[in-house]
Amino acid sequence: MTTIPSGGSSSAVPAQRSWPRRLLGRLPTVLWLTAMWVILWGDPSPGTVIAGLLVGSACYSAAKLPHIPVRLGFRPLAALRLVAVIGYDLFASSAQVALHVLWRPHRTRGAIVAVPMRTDSDFLLAMLSGGLSLVTGSLVIELNRDQGVVYVHGIPIDSPEAAERLRRQVRRTEELFVRAFGTAEDLAEFERHAEPADGEDGGDRRPGGDS
Amino acid sequence: MTVMSFVYAATFAMLGVSVLCTLYRLVRGPSVLDRIVCLNALSVLLVSAIAVEAAVRGDTTYVGLMVTIALLGFVGTLTAARFAERRAHDRG
Amino acid sequence: MTAGDVLTAVLLPLGALFTLIGTIGLVRFPTLLGRMHAAAKPDTVGLVLLLLGAACQLPDIRSAAPLALVALFQFVTVPVLAQTLGRVVYSRGETHAEHLVVDELAEALDRSGDADR
Repeated sequence: MTTIPSGGSSSAVPAQRSWPRRLLGRLPTVLWLTAMWVILWGDPSPGTVIAGLLVGSACYSAAKLPHIPVRLGFRPLAALRLVAVIGYDLFASSAQVALHVLWRPHRTRGAIVAVPMRTDSDFLLAMLSGGLSLVTGSLVIELNRDQGVVYVHGIPIDSPEAAERLRRQVRRTEELFVRAFGTAEDLAEFERHAEPADGEDGGDRRPGGDS
Repeated sequence: MTVMSFVYAATFAMLGVSVLCTLYRLVRGPSVLDRIVCLNALSVLLVSAIAVEAAVRGDTTYVGLMVTIALLGFVGTLTAARFAERRAHDRG
Repeated sequence: MTAGDVLTAVLLPLGALFTLIGTIGLVRFPTLLGRMHAAAKPDTVGLVLLLLGAACQLPDIRSAAPLALVALFQFVTVPVLAQTLGRVVYSRGETHAEHLVVDELAEALDRSGDADR
Protein backbone atom coordinates (compact mmCIF):
# COMPACT_ATOMS: atom_id res chain seq x y z
CA MET A 1 0.00 0.00 0.00
CA THR A 2 1.30 3.39 -0.85
CA THR A 3 1.50 6.14 1.66
CA ILE A 4 1.94 9.78 0.98
CA PRO A 5 5.61 10.59 1.54
CA SER A 6 5.85 12.35 4.85
CA GLY A 7 9.01 14.02 3.66
CA GLY A 8 11.97 14.27 5.98
CA SER A 9 12.70 17.86 6.76
CA SER A 10 16.19 18.66 5.61
CA SER A 11 17.00 21.74 7.59
CA ALA A 12 20.37 23.04 6.59
CA VAL A 13 22.78 22.48 9.45
CA PRO A 14 25.70 24.86 9.55
CA ALA A 15 28.83 22.90 8.78
CA GLN A 16 31.24 24.18 11.35
CA ARG A 17 30.57 26.37 14.32
CA SER A 18 32.96 27.68 16.85
CA TRP A 19 33.58 25.69 20.02
CA PRO A 20 31.90 27.97 22.58
CA ARG A 21 28.82 28.40 20.42
CA ARG A 22 28.43 24.64 20.04
CA LEU A 23 28.69 24.31 23.80
CA LEU A 24 26.09 27.03 24.26
CA GLY A 25 23.69 25.26 21.89
CA ARG A 26 23.96 22.09 23.98
CA LEU A 27 23.61 23.78 27.31
CA PRO A 28 19.78 23.74 27.52
CA THR A 29 19.59 19.98 26.93
CA VAL A 30 22.27 19.23 29.51
CA LEU A 31 20.59 21.57 32.00
CA TRP A 32 17.28 19.81 31.42
CA LEU A 33 18.89 16.39 31.93
CA THR A 34 20.47 17.68 35.13
CA ALA A 35 17.12 19.03 36.34
CA MET A 36 15.51 15.63 35.79
CA TRP A 37 18.37 13.93 37.60
CA VAL A 38 18.01 16.24 40.60
CA ILE A 39 14.23 15.84 40.68
CA LEU A 40 14.51 12.05 40.60
CA TRP A 41 17.05 12.09 43.40
CA GLY A 42 14.74 14.46 45.26
CA ASP A 43 17.67 16.25 46.86
CA PRO A 44 19.09 19.48 45.37
CA SER A 45 22.46 19.31 47.12
CA PRO A 46 25.62 20.49 45.28
CA GLY A 47 26.94 16.93 44.99
CA THR A 48 23.78 15.75 43.22
CA VAL A 49 23.84 18.71 40.86
CA ILE A 50 27.49 18.15 39.91
CA ALA A 51 26.95 14.42 39.41
CA GLY A 52 23.88 15.20 37.29
CA LEU A 53 25.86 17.64 35.15
CA LEU A 54 28.59 15.02 34.63
CA VAL A 55 26.17 12.23 33.77
CA GLY A 56 24.12 14.53 31.55
CA SER A 57 27.15 15.71 29.57
CA ALA A 58 28.49 12.16 29.28
CA CYS A 59 25.16 10.84 27.98
CA TYR A 60 24.79 13.77 25.63
CA SER A 61 28.23 13.39 24.11
CA ALA A 62 27.82 9.62 23.87
CA ALA A 63 24.49 9.95 22.04
CA LYS A 64 25.97 12.31 19.40
CA LEU A 65 22.61 13.91 18.70
CA PRO A 66 22.40 16.07 15.62
CA HIS A 67 22.12 19.74 16.35
CA ILE A 68 18.93 21.20 14.97
CA PRO A 69 18.63 24.95 15.17
CA VAL A 70 15.43 25.78 17.02
CA ARG A 71 13.54 28.63 15.46
CA LEU A 72 10.68 29.33 17.79
CA GLY A 73 9.28 32.40 19.39
CA PHE A 74 7.51 32.48 22.71
CA ARG A 75 4.64 34.68 23.75
CA PRO A 76 3.70 33.93 27.36
CA LEU A 77 0.12 35.18 27.16
CA ALA A 78 -0.68 33.29 23.98
CA ALA A 79 1.03 30.19 25.38
CA LEU A 80 -1.10 30.42 28.50
CA ARG A 81 -4.20 30.66 26.35
CA LEU A 82 -3.02 27.65 24.36
CA VAL A 83 -2.53 25.60 27.51
CA ALA A 84 -5.96 26.63 28.76
CA VAL A 85 -7.65 25.70 25.48
CA ILE A 86 -5.83 22.36 25.23
CA GLY A 87 -6.68 21.57 28.83
CA TYR A 88 -10.32 22.47 28.28
CA ASP A 89 -10.45 20.43 25.07
CA LEU A 90 -8.84 17.50 26.86
CA PHE A 91 -11.57 17.46 29.52
CA ALA A 92 -14.50 18.38 27.28
CA SER A 93 -13.73 15.80 24.62
CA SER A 94 -12.94 13.16 27.25
CA ALA A 95 -16.40 13.75 28.70
CA GLN A 96 -17.93 13.61 25.24
CA VAL A 97 -16.21 10.34 24.40
CA ALA A 98 -17.22 9.03 27.83
CA LEU A 99 -20.84 9.76 26.97
CA HIS A 100 -20.52 7.76 23.78
CA VAL A 101 -18.80 4.93 25.61
CA LEU A 102 -21.74 4.54 27.97
CA TRP A 103 -24.49 5.28 25.46
CA ARG A 104 -24.53 3.17 22.29
CA PRO A 105 -20.84 2.85 21.43
CA HIS A 106 -21.72 0.63 18.48
CA ARG A 107 -23.25 3.56 16.65
CA THR A 108 -20.27 5.85 17.18
CA ARG A 109 -18.61 6.76 13.95
CA GLY A 110 -15.51 8.73 13.12
CA ALA A 111 -14.07 10.56 10.16
CA ILE A 112 -10.71 11.32 8.63
CA VAL A 113 -10.52 14.90 7.42
CA ALA A 114 -7.77 16.66 5.53
CA VAL A 115 -6.84 20.04 6.93
CA PRO A 116 -4.50 22.26 4.90
CA MET A 117 -2.01 23.96 7.18
CA ARG A 118 -1.14 27.62 6.99
CA THR A 119 2.31 27.34 8.50
CA ASP A 120 5.44 25.74 7.14
CA SER A 121 7.62 25.49 10.21
CA ASP A 122 8.76 21.95 11.10
CA PHE A 123 8.66 22.68 14.80
CA LEU A 124 5.22 24.21 14.75
CA LEU A 125 3.81 21.31 12.74
CA ALA A 126 5.37 18.79 15.12
CA MET A 127 4.01 20.62 18.15
CA LEU A 128 0.61 21.00 16.52
CA SER A 129 0.27 17.32 15.69
CA GLY A 130 1.36 16.50 19.21
CA GLY A 131 -1.22 18.83 20.67
CA LEU A 132 -3.95 17.47 18.42
CA SER A 133 -3.12 13.86 19.23
CA LEU A 134 -3.17 14.64 22.92
CA VAL A 135 -6.79 15.73 22.87
CA THR A 136 -9.26 12.87 23.10
CA GLY A 137 -11.22 12.44 19.94
CA SER A 138 -8.65 13.72 17.51
CA LEU A 139 -5.64 11.90 16.21
CA VAL A 140 -3.18 12.89 13.51
CA ILE A 141 -2.86 9.97 11.14
CA GLU A 142 -0.69 11.36 8.41
CA LEU A 143 1.22 14.55 7.85
CA ASN A 144 1.91 15.41 4.25
CA ARG A 145 4.91 17.67 4.56
CA ASP A 146 5.15 18.58 0.87
CA GLN A 147 1.64 19.94 0.58
CA GLY A 148 1.35 20.97 4.22
CA VAL A 149 -1.79 18.92 4.87
CA VAL A 150 -2.56 17.00 8.05
CA TYR A 151 -5.03 14.13 8.08
CA VAL A 152 -6.90 14.01 11.36
CA HIS A 153 -9.11 11.21 12.61
CA GLY A 154 -11.88 12.44 14.83
CA ILE A 155 -14.42 10.72 17.03
CA PRO A 156 -17.40 10.94 17.58
CA ILE A 157 -18.50 12.29 14.21
CA ASP A 158 -21.80 11.27 12.65
CA SER A 159 -22.44 13.90 9.98
CA PRO A 160 -20.54 16.10 7.51
CA GLU A 161 -21.35 19.06 9.75
CA ALA A 162 -19.51 17.43 12.64
CA ALA A 163 -16.56 16.76 10.33
CA GLU A 164 -16.59 20.45 9.48
CA ARG A 165 -16.55 21.28 13.19
CA LEU A 166 -13.49 19.06 13.63
CA ARG A 167 -11.80 20.89 10.77
CA ARG A 168 -12.54 24.24 12.37
CA GLN A 169 -11.24 23.00 15.69
CA VAL A 170 -7.98 21.86 14.10
CA ARG A 171 -7.53 25.21 12.39
CA ARG A 172 -8.22 27.05 15.63
CA THR A 173 -5.63 24.93 17.45
CA GLU A 174 -3.16 25.66 14.68
CA GLU A 175 -3.75 29.38 15.06
CA LEU A 176 -3.19 29.15 18.81
CA PHE A 177 0.07 27.26 18.33
CA VAL A 178 1.37 29.74 15.76
CA ARG A 179 0.46 32.67 17.97
CA ALA A 180 2.11 31.08 21.01
CA PHE A 181 5.32 29.66 19.57
CA GLY A 182 5.77 30.99 16.06
CA THR A 183 8.53 33.43 15.17
CA ALA A 184 7.61 36.77 13.63
CA GLU A 185 8.11 35.27 10.14
CA ASP A 186 5.87 32.31 10.93
CA LEU A 187 3.19 34.66 12.14
CA ALA A 188 3.51 36.84 9.05
CA GLU A 189 3.26 33.82 6.77
CA PHE A 190 0.28 32.57 8.72
CA GLU A 191 -1.52 35.90 8.34
CA ARG A 192 -0.72 35.91 4.62
CA HIS A 193 -2.22 32.44 4.20
CA ALA A 194 -5.14 33.06 6.49
CA GLU A 195 -6.94 35.67 4.41
CA PRO A 196 -7.38 33.88 1.06
CA ALA A 197 -7.45 30.37 2.54
CA ASP A 198 -10.44 31.09 4.73
CA GLY A 199 -12.50 32.36 1.81
CA GLU A 200 -11.50 29.46 -0.43
CA ASP A 201 -12.13 26.70 2.04
CA GLY A 202 -15.37 28.15 3.24
CA GLY A 203 -16.47 28.09 -0.40
CA ASP A 204 -15.70 24.63 -1.66
CA ARG A 205 -15.84 22.63 1.55
CA ARG A 206 -19.15 23.84 2.91
CA PRO A 207 -21.09 20.67 3.73
CA GLY A 208 -24.26 21.69 1.93
CA GLY A 209 -22.39 22.87 -1.16
CA ASP A 210 -21.57 19.54 -2.76
CA SER A 211 -24.76 17.67 -2.12
CA MET B 1 -9.71 8.85 58.41
CA THR B 2 -12.39 6.35 57.56
CA VAL B 3 -13.50 8.61 54.72
CA MET B 4 -10.01 8.54 53.28
CA SER B 5 -9.74 4.79 53.48
CA PHE B 6 -13.08 4.51 51.69
CA VAL B 7 -11.78 6.88 48.99
CA TYR B 8 -8.65 4.79 48.54
CA ALA B 9 -10.63 1.58 48.40
CA ALA B 10 -13.00 3.00 45.78
CA THR B 11 -10.09 4.27 43.69
CA PHE B 12 -8.29 0.95 43.84
CA ALA B 13 -11.52 -0.87 42.98
CA MET B 14 -12.09 1.25 39.89
CA LEU B 15 -8.48 0.76 38.79
CA GLY B 16 -8.86 -2.97 39.35
CA VAL B 17 -11.97 -3.13 37.17
CA SER B 18 -10.06 -1.15 34.54
CA VAL B 19 -7.27 -3.71 34.61
CA LEU B 20 -9.81 -6.52 34.16
CA CYS B 21 -11.43 -4.73 31.19
CA THR B 22 -8.03 -4.20 29.62
CA LEU B 23 -7.10 -7.84 30.15
CA TYR B 24 -10.36 -8.89 28.49
CA ARG B 25 -9.54 -6.84 25.41
CA LEU B 26 -5.95 -8.10 25.54
CA VAL B 27 -7.16 -11.69 25.35
CA ARG B 28 -9.96 -11.09 22.86
CA GLY B 29 -7.83 -9.16 20.35
CA PRO B 30 -8.84 -9.31 17.52
CA SER B 31 -6.04 -7.31 15.97
CA VAL B 32 -2.44 -7.36 17.13
CA LEU B 33 -2.70 -3.57 17.44
CA ASP B 34 -5.50 -4.02 20.00
CA ARG B 35 -3.07 -6.02 22.08
CA ILE B 36 -0.35 -3.40 21.72
CA VAL B 37 -2.77 -0.67 22.81
CA CYS B 38 -3.85 -2.84 25.75
CA LEU B 39 -0.29 -3.44 26.91
CA ASN B 40 0.32 0.29 26.85
CA ALA B 41 -2.91 0.90 28.76
CA LEU B 42 -1.78 -1.67 31.35
CA SER B 43 1.49 0.17 31.90
CA VAL B 44 -0.42 3.43 32.39
CA LEU B 45 -2.77 1.67 34.82
CA LEU B 46 0.22 0.35 36.76
CA VAL B 47 1.65 3.86 37.01
CA SER B 48 -1.76 5.13 38.18
CA ALA B 49 -1.94 2.45 40.84
CA ILE B 50 1.53 3.34 42.12
CA ALA B 51 0.44 7.00 42.27
CA VAL B 52 -2.49 6.02 44.50
CA GLU B 53 -0.14 3.90 46.58
CA ALA B 54 2.08 6.95 47.02
CA ALA B 55 -0.97 8.87 48.25
CA VAL B 56 -1.88 6.12 50.71
CA ARG B 57 1.59 5.92 52.19
CA GLY B 58 2.32 9.63 51.89
CA ASP B 59 5.82 9.12 50.55
CA THR B 60 7.39 8.84 47.13
CA THR B 61 9.73 5.91 47.45
CA TYR B 62 8.28 4.30 44.34
CA VAL B 63 8.28 7.34 42.08
CA GLY B 64 11.42 6.15 40.34
CA LEU B 65 9.50 3.00 39.55
CA MET B 66 6.68 5.07 38.04
CA VAL B 67 9.05 6.92 35.73
CA THR B 68 10.75 3.68 34.73
CA ILE B 69 7.50 1.88 33.96
CA ALA B 70 6.15 4.86 32.03
CA LEU B 71 9.26 5.10 29.86
CA LEU B 72 9.55 1.33 29.35
CA GLY B 73 5.89 1.17 28.37
CA PHE B 74 6.41 3.98 25.91
CA VAL B 75 9.49 2.50 24.26
CA GLY B 76 7.98 -0.99 24.19
CA THR B 77 4.73 0.16 22.63
CA LEU B 78 6.54 2.23 20.04
CA THR B 79 8.79 -0.68 19.07
CA ALA B 80 5.90 -3.13 18.84
CA ALA B 81 3.91 -0.69 16.71
CA ARG B 82 6.85 -0.23 14.36
CA PHE B 83 7.16 -3.98 13.90
CA ALA B 84 3.47 -4.25 13.13
CA GLU B 85 3.83 -1.60 10.46
CA ARG B 86 6.79 -3.23 8.78
CA ARG B 87 4.96 -6.50 8.46
CA ALA B 88 2.07 -4.73 6.73
CA HIS B 89 4.52 -3.21 4.26
CA ASP B 90 6.10 -6.57 3.49
CA ARG B 91 2.75 -8.10 2.73
CA GLY B 92 1.49 -5.48 0.33
CA MET C 1 -9.94 16.16 57.42
CA THR C 2 -7.65 18.84 56.06
CA ALA C 3 -8.09 20.74 52.79
CA GLY C 4 -5.54 18.44 51.16
CA ASP C 5 -7.59 15.43 52.20
CA VAL C 6 -10.72 16.93 50.64
CA LEU C 7 -8.88 17.61 47.37
CA THR C 8 -7.52 14.08 47.36
CA ALA C 9 -10.95 12.64 48.10
CA VAL C 10 -12.32 14.46 45.06
CA LEU C 11 -9.41 14.01 42.64
CA LEU C 12 -8.53 10.35 43.20
CA PRO C 13 -11.99 8.85 42.47
CA LEU C 14 -12.47 11.30 39.60
CA GLY C 15 -9.19 10.24 38.03
CA ALA C 16 -9.99 6.58 38.53
CA LEU C 17 -13.42 7.18 36.98
CA PHE C 18 -11.86 8.70 33.85
CA THR C 19 -9.52 5.73 33.61
CA LEU C 20 -12.39 3.31 34.10
CA ILE C 21 -14.53 4.94 31.41
CA GLY C 22 -11.58 4.89 29.04
CA THR C 23 -11.06 1.19 29.53
CA ILE C 24 -14.76 0.47 29.20
CA GLY C 25 -14.47 2.24 25.87
CA LEU C 26 -11.54 -0.03 25.07
CA VAL C 27 -13.92 -2.96 25.48
CA ARG C 28 -17.04 -1.53 23.89
CA PHE C 29 -16.02 0.54 20.86
CA PRO C 30 -16.45 -1.40 17.61
CA THR C 31 -13.49 0.01 15.69
CA LEU C 32 -9.78 -0.15 16.33
CA LEU C 33 -9.31 3.60 15.98
CA GLY C 34 -12.19 4.23 18.36
CA ARG C 35 -10.65 1.88 20.89
CA MET C 36 -7.35 3.70 20.58
CA HIS C 37 -9.05 7.02 21.28
CA ALA C 38 -10.81 5.53 24.28
CA ALA C 39 -7.73 3.80 25.65
CA ALA C 40 -5.00 6.39 25.45
CA LYS C 41 -6.37 9.79 26.30
CA PRO C 42 -8.90 9.37 29.13
CA ASP C 43 -6.11 7.36 30.77
CA THR C 44 -3.93 10.45 30.54
CA VAL C 45 -6.57 12.70 32.08
CA GLY C 46 -7.14 10.08 34.75
CA LEU C 47 -3.45 9.71 35.49
CA VAL C 48 -2.97 13.47 35.80
CA LEU C 49 -5.93 13.72 38.19
CA LEU C 50 -4.58 10.81 40.23
CA LEU C 51 -1.14 12.41 40.38
CA LEU C 52 -2.67 15.71 41.51
CA GLY C 53 -4.66 13.88 44.14
CA ALA C 54 -1.59 12.00 45.31
CA ALA C 55 0.45 15.22 45.42
CA CYS C 56 -2.03 16.66 47.95
CA GLN C 57 -1.15 13.85 50.36
CA LEU C 58 2.61 14.40 50.23
CA PRO C 59 4.29 16.39 52.99
CA ASP C 60 6.08 19.02 50.88
CA ILE C 61 6.50 20.24 47.33
CA ARG C 62 9.94 18.66 47.00
CA SER C 63 8.61 15.14 47.21
CA ALA C 64 5.77 16.05 44.83
CA ALA C 65 8.14 17.21 42.07
CA PRO C 66 8.78 13.69 40.68
CA LEU C 67 5.02 13.30 40.21
CA ALA C 68 5.08 16.35 37.93
CA LEU C 69 7.86 14.63 35.99
CA VAL C 70 5.65 11.56 35.51
CA ALA C 71 2.79 13.74 34.24
CA LEU C 72 5.17 15.51 31.88
CA PHE C 73 6.43 12.21 30.44
CA GLN C 74 2.85 11.09 29.94
CA PHE C 75 1.98 14.31 28.09
CA VAL C 76 5.02 13.95 25.85
CA THR C 77 4.69 10.24 25.09
CA VAL C 78 0.94 9.96 24.51
CA PRO C 79 0.83 12.04 21.29
CA VAL C 80 3.83 10.18 19.88
CA LEU C 81 2.21 6.81 20.55
CA ALA C 82 -1.19 7.93 19.28
CA GLN C 83 0.29 9.19 16.05
CA THR C 84 2.48 6.15 15.44
CA LEU C 85 -0.35 3.75 16.18
CA GLY C 86 -2.74 5.77 14.01
CA ARG C 87 -0.37 5.55 11.08
CA VAL C 88 0.19 1.84 11.61
CA VAL C 89 -3.56 1.20 11.81
CA TYR C 90 -4.09 3.06 8.58
CA SER C 91 -1.18 1.35 6.83
CA ARG C 92 -2.66 -2.02 7.76
CA GLY C 93 -6.06 -0.98 6.48
CA GLU C 94 -7.86 -1.75 9.75
CA THR C 95 -9.93 1.41 9.73
CA HIS C 96 -13.45 -0.08 9.22
CA ALA C 97 -14.70 2.11 6.38
CA GLU C 98 -18.36 1.60 7.36
CA HIS C 99 -17.71 3.49 10.58
CA LEU C 100 -16.12 6.47 8.86
CA VAL C 101 -18.24 9.37 7.69
CA VAL C 102 -15.56 10.66 5.34
CA ASP C 103 -12.05 9.46 4.66
CA GLU C 104 -10.19 12.23 2.93
CA LEU C 105 -6.84 10.47 3.29
CA ALA C 106 -8.12 7.63 1.09
CA GLU C 107 -9.35 10.19 -1.42
CA ALA C 108 -5.96 11.88 -1.43
CA LEU C 109 -4.22 8.51 -1.86
CA ASP C 110 -6.52 7.71 -4.78
CA ARG C 111 -5.66 11.02 -6.38
CA SER C 112 -1.92 10.52 -5.97
CA GLY C 113 -2.35 6.98 -7.32
CA ASP C 114 -4.06 8.41 -10.41
CA ALA C 115 -1.27 10.92 -10.83
CA ASP C 116 1.32 8.14 -10.75
CA ARG C 117 -0.34 6.20 -13.50
